[in-house]
Amino acid sequence: MISFSKVNKWYGDYHALVDVTARVNKGEVVVVCGPSGSGKSTLIRTVNRLEEIQSGELTFDGRSVHAPMSGSELNKLRSHIGFVFQSFNLFPHMSVVENVMFSPIRVNSMGKSEARDKALSLLERVGLASKAGAYPAQLSGGQQQRVAIARALAMEPPAMLFDEPTSALDPEMVGEVLAVMRSLANDGMTMMCVTHEMGFAREVADCVWFMDAGSILEVADPQTFFKQPQHPRAQRFLSDLRTH
Amino acid sequence: MKDFNLMAILLNPEFSAMLLHGLKTTLLIAAGSWTLAMTLALILLAVRLTPSRVAQHAVATYVSYHRNVPTLVQMMLWYFGLASLLPATAQAWLSEHSAEAVFAVISLGLCQAAYFSEDLRSGFRAVPLGQTEAARALGHSYIGALRHVLMPQAVRNAIPALVNHSVSLFKNSSLAMAIGAAELTHAVKELESRTFRAFESYLIATVIYLLISLLIMAIGAWLGRRAALATAR
Amino acid sequence: MTDLVAIISDNWLLLLVGQYPNGPLGGLACTLILSILGIALAFPLSVLIALARTSKWRLLSWPATALVYGARGVPLLMIILWVYFLVPALIGRNVSGFTTMVCTLVIYEAAFLAEVVRSGIQALPRGQMEAARALGHNYLGAMWSVVLPQALYNVMPSMLSQFVSTIKETTLGYVINVHELTFAASQVNNQLLTKPFHVFFILAVIYFIVCWSLTQLAEWLERRIATKRRGVSTVRPAVDAENIVSPIATDRPVPVRSIS
Repeated sequence: MISFSKVNKWYGDYHALVDVTARVNKGEVVVVCGPSGSGKSTLIRTVNRLEEIQSGELTFDGRSVHAPMSGSELNKLRSHIGFVFQSFNLFPHMSVVENVMFSPIRVNSMGKSEARDKALSLLERVGLASKAGAYPAQLSGGQQQRVAIARALAMEPPAMLFDEPTSALDPEMVGEVLAVMRSLANDGMTMMCVTHEMGFAREVADCVWFMDAGSILEVADPQTFFKQPQHPRAQRFLSDLRTH
Repeated sequence: MKDFNLMAILLNPEFSAMLLHGLKTTLLIAAGSWTLAMTLALILLAVRLTPSRVAQHAVATYVSYHRNVPTLVQMMLWYFGLASLLPATAQAWLSEHSAEAVFAVISLGLCQAAYFSEDLRSGFRAVPLGQTEAARALGHSYIGALRHVLMPQAVRNAIPALVNHSVSLFKNSSLAMAIGAAELTHAVKELESRTFRAFESYLIATVIYLLISLLIMAIGAWLGRRAALATAR
Repeated sequence: MTDLVAIISDNWLLLLVGQYPNGPLGGLACTLILSILGIALAFPLSVLIALARTSKWRLLSWPATALVYGARGVPLLMIILWVYFLVPALIGRNVSGFTTMVCTLVIYEAAFLAEVVRSGIQALPRGQMEAARALGHNYLGAMWSVVLPQALYNVMPSMLSQFVSTIKETTLGYVINVHELTFAASQVNNQLLTKPFHVFFILAVIYFIVCWSLTQLAEWLERRIATKRRGVSTVRPAVDAENIVSPIATDRPVPVRSIS
């Protein structure tokens, strides 16, 4: 579904992504973890071209993301990629249901009542149907993030990208968001998640990528990775986590 | 457009003299009012820092008046209004010594002092509270902390706003034309009525104003960079 | 004191509406109409200029920047003289002082308002534009539906401050014989001749009352908006136009932050 082939990115002289080669298969849940500054967020943001790459190939659902294309082609491509931000980024001047319906109507030319029905059913799915008329400012962080997930799902993407979805949440709200992500995974959604939530990785992920300094240093299934990491930096990372 | 002939104005001795005189008057009015405004602003700030509620209200009223009444009206109030209240000897002296420019300087200076003092005040408020606490904790007196820690930082913070208002002050010198001062805009209008070359006359004045405004902004940017370097970590 | 009252009671109508109905509408009414027209027409123009300023196409951003620099580096009086000369030359017939003043105010205010709008756009968290683009919206669609509604709402107090400035700027109409409030006051002064201080004092008080009330309204608006927006994004509370700071010095500076 998503494939990276020798992807390189520089910020000026700083080599942010170094020869990244990896695949996310259809139906897979991949968790990308690593210390801060490792390039995990940069990597996931290249998938929908919020960040550019300087060399290499990146394909999403068979389409090359970084090939030269017109603005409207890129918009179309992005509308097929679900993206959930760390800071939720809900539109504060629209109600919850409007946030979810707005893009299907405007970008996918869906009819208004059809979009509303779909929005309400998605809100139901994330457990927030009762908050449809509320505004983002009236919701807690965890609720806002769940709305953000519903908003991304409304575009019916074949895959969902999560950029540290729970890092900005107070600890007691992390669970409700992870629960939604878990149910999505159980329904067979292809997911790529950058996260620090190792419990989630252990239980839900099919594959863990460990990154440091712009490279993927280890690719393994969760059982192997958490019990017996191969790469010395991965070992150090996991032991640092445990001693907290 | 008829024949565009800039040189007809610039090379003509009488016209270029008019322009130079106008420019000189503009610069004098601007410099005079800037000095007055800055001095007064520092005094106002000092008054504002005293614990007296009356003093603070007085300054607030001063600022409020000068910010809500149009600058031109202030100038007219001084020139037409207050001048008439002066004794006859003073009035006679003034009309011999370019009263228009004097009153322009006074009214502009007082008006801009209000803006400058607000800029300095904002600069002050932008200094983190921890600075004063740290200075006092190290044993500095109130005045010492003010002089060595607060004021330098406050002024640095205020530089961009001060520069902006300085450009305003410079532009407002053109208002003196309305009370008859022979500054640059007045000179250019005279020129236009004499030569019927409105485009060339206005262009010269516009270029001069733009260049000086940009110069002030450039000085401001340079000052800002120097200030930033001094506080860079 | 009785002089003041006498002058007001004799001339209040002249000060309020000029010589209407025996002449054009003047006085305070004319001042307010000039200001409202000026800012209402300048507003859509200012949004366009702000968008051009923040655009990545130099063909758009450079002329817009030049326009803003120009309008703000040149005295308003000079711009009035230019408009007074150029407009009749361009359209082939004479225009009234009132029309000249409206055109000047529109140009001048559009430049300043553009900086206010630009500061509002740049103060909005990057994530808003990113989220809209990530969902597949194009740049203009995202601007229209997501960024501008928030940015314009947030800078409403600054725009109100700009309206107050416009009212103050209408006084320059006096120089080209526009029958606004200052002109009306000078007419009263020319009739009375012996009480210039009283007349101009009354003039100052009228302006003070109008401008001060609007400024209070702007400050109240700012407090309301700050509380409303506290919940979601880290939007900076809208600031009085005079305190926004920018590297390009003018009297309406603006914070500069990079945009995505």
